[in-house]
Amino acid sequence: MNFKFFFNEAVNSLIRNWVMSMAAIVTVLVSMLVLGMGMIMYFNFEHAISDLRNKLEVEVFIKNTASPDQINGLGDEIRAMSEVKEVNFVSKEEALNRLRESLKGHEDVLDALSGNPLPPSYEITLKDPNQINEVATRFFDNPIVDNTPGTHDGVKTGGETSDRVLKVTTYFLIVAVAFVALFTVASVLLISNTTRLSIFARRREVEIMRLVGATNWFIRWPFIMEGVFTGMVGAAAAAILVMFINRFFIVEGVLNKLPFLPLNSEAVPMFWLVLLLIIGGTLVGSVGSGLALRRFLKI
Amino acid sequence: MIRFENVTKMYDPNIVGLEDVNIHIDRGEFCFLVGHSGSGKSTFIRLLLKELEPNEGTITVAGRNLQRMRHSALPYHRRNLGCVFQDFKLLPNKSVADNVAYALRVTGQPARAIRRKVPEILNLVGLGDKMNNLPDELSAGEQQRVSVARAFVNHPSLLVADEPTGNLDPDTSVGIMQLLYRINRTGTTVLMATHDREMVDKMRKRVIALEDGKVIRDEDKGLYR
Repeated sequence: MNFKFFFNEAVNSLIRNWVMSMAAIVTVLVSMLVLGMGMIMYFNFEHAISDLRNKLEVEVFIKNTASPDQINGLGDEIRAMSEVKEVNFVSKEEALNRLRESLKGHEDVLDALSGNPLPPSYEITLKDPNQINEVATRFFDNPIVDNTPGTHDGVKTGGETSDRVLKVTTYFLIVAVAFVALFTVASVLLISNTTRLSIFARRREVEIMRLVGATNWFIRWPFIMEGVFTGMVGAAAAAILVMFINRFFIVEGVLNKLPFLPLNSEAVPMFWLVLLLIIGGTLVGSVGSGLALRRFLKI
Repeated sequence: MIRFENVTKMYDPNIVGLEDVNIHIDRGEFCFLVGHSGSGKSTFIRLLLKELEPNEGTITVAGRNLQRMRHSALPYHRRNLGCVFQDFKLLPNKSVADNVAYALRVTGQPARAIRRKVPEILNLVGLGDKMNNLPDELSAGEQQRVSVARAFVNHPSLLVADEPTGNLDPDTSVGIMQLLYRINRTGTTVLMATHDREMVDKMRKRVIALEDGKVIRDEDKGLYR
């Protein structure tokens, strides 16, 4: 087709109105950047949460008054449950050792204790972390579990922490989506306005094109391409920035220096993210110019 | 070639564009359309281009009824109809050659044909050496030649000129007239709306005179009067 001709027309027009073009490109860039960074954060949090959830355990604390037989009986009972992946018994001594370990440098506070007040416990890992609450309830009424009367504080799950993280992530996601939506609308409007100006600047040209017998699509294509280019250039710049930021700030700057964070540089599917950004930008560009054409190009 | 049958065009209930006009122009004719400003010349031409629709009557151009023509067929109608205007209507950002080439491009002609035809037609109008200039760099007469070249490059069967010499001095006008006359000699029907009394009297071609939207005179080898 006349692809080369349309391409040249579009590029020439972009260069001629370069201030407007730059404005539109930068808006697309910002919106795609927000989308990209949001996605990176989301993937990392998602990864961290699933990591956390996989480490979730049910801890069952046992009364100091329970006999060794009762304790072993409970252990057998737990092992018999089909949902259970692993069971670990923590004796009173081990519990104290762990506490001492975590207080390193301040062990002297333990000297104030008379004897060992810590209860023994079972740490239960499940095959499916979603069943954690269901399994936990089974121990609520067990007589050897160290519940304060009237409560179930002898059974602990990590569920609260992960629920809180999940809630924060959800809020974060909602804010990110709102920003992306806002910037996307702004980009569509700005591209639409750029196209409108471009149509306005060339309305005489359009009239002449019609007079010499140009079909509607022959007139429209350069304008549409202008919008698509704007979107694509903005999105490509955003993609490069996102890759750069991910590489140098998140992977090198945070993950490699803080290895204990449950984050992972592999968590983000970069190829798909870049593809998403470029498709998104192109779409924003074509929708923007399409809107302007429908409203302002009377043919 | 052109047939107007009982054509009436009203802009407002009481503003007359054309009123009950009946005109028949044959293939290959050279025909002047004369009259004062507001007499209906431009309405006539815009109806021919199907830029306007008549309120009544039928217009047939090259055997095609414009009122029955679908909107999508309009570009093809206009390709068969070269247009020259008083204000040239050239694309200011394109070179002379690109302006002429544009008319070929919209018809989907291959690049090789365009490269061959553009210099050919520009040589014909005497602008072979100004192909790469922008319209602004040419004189008014030269710009009008470009416009004629563009109108004729597709070899339309009808060439319509709306006061093509209106902005030109008498000597330059003669040049444009000669160009239109040569185009007419190739068999192209030429319809020219004009104010140029001298030119009309010199050419002695068919003259259709309009006044207040009505045809008041239609004679062969006529004068402006």
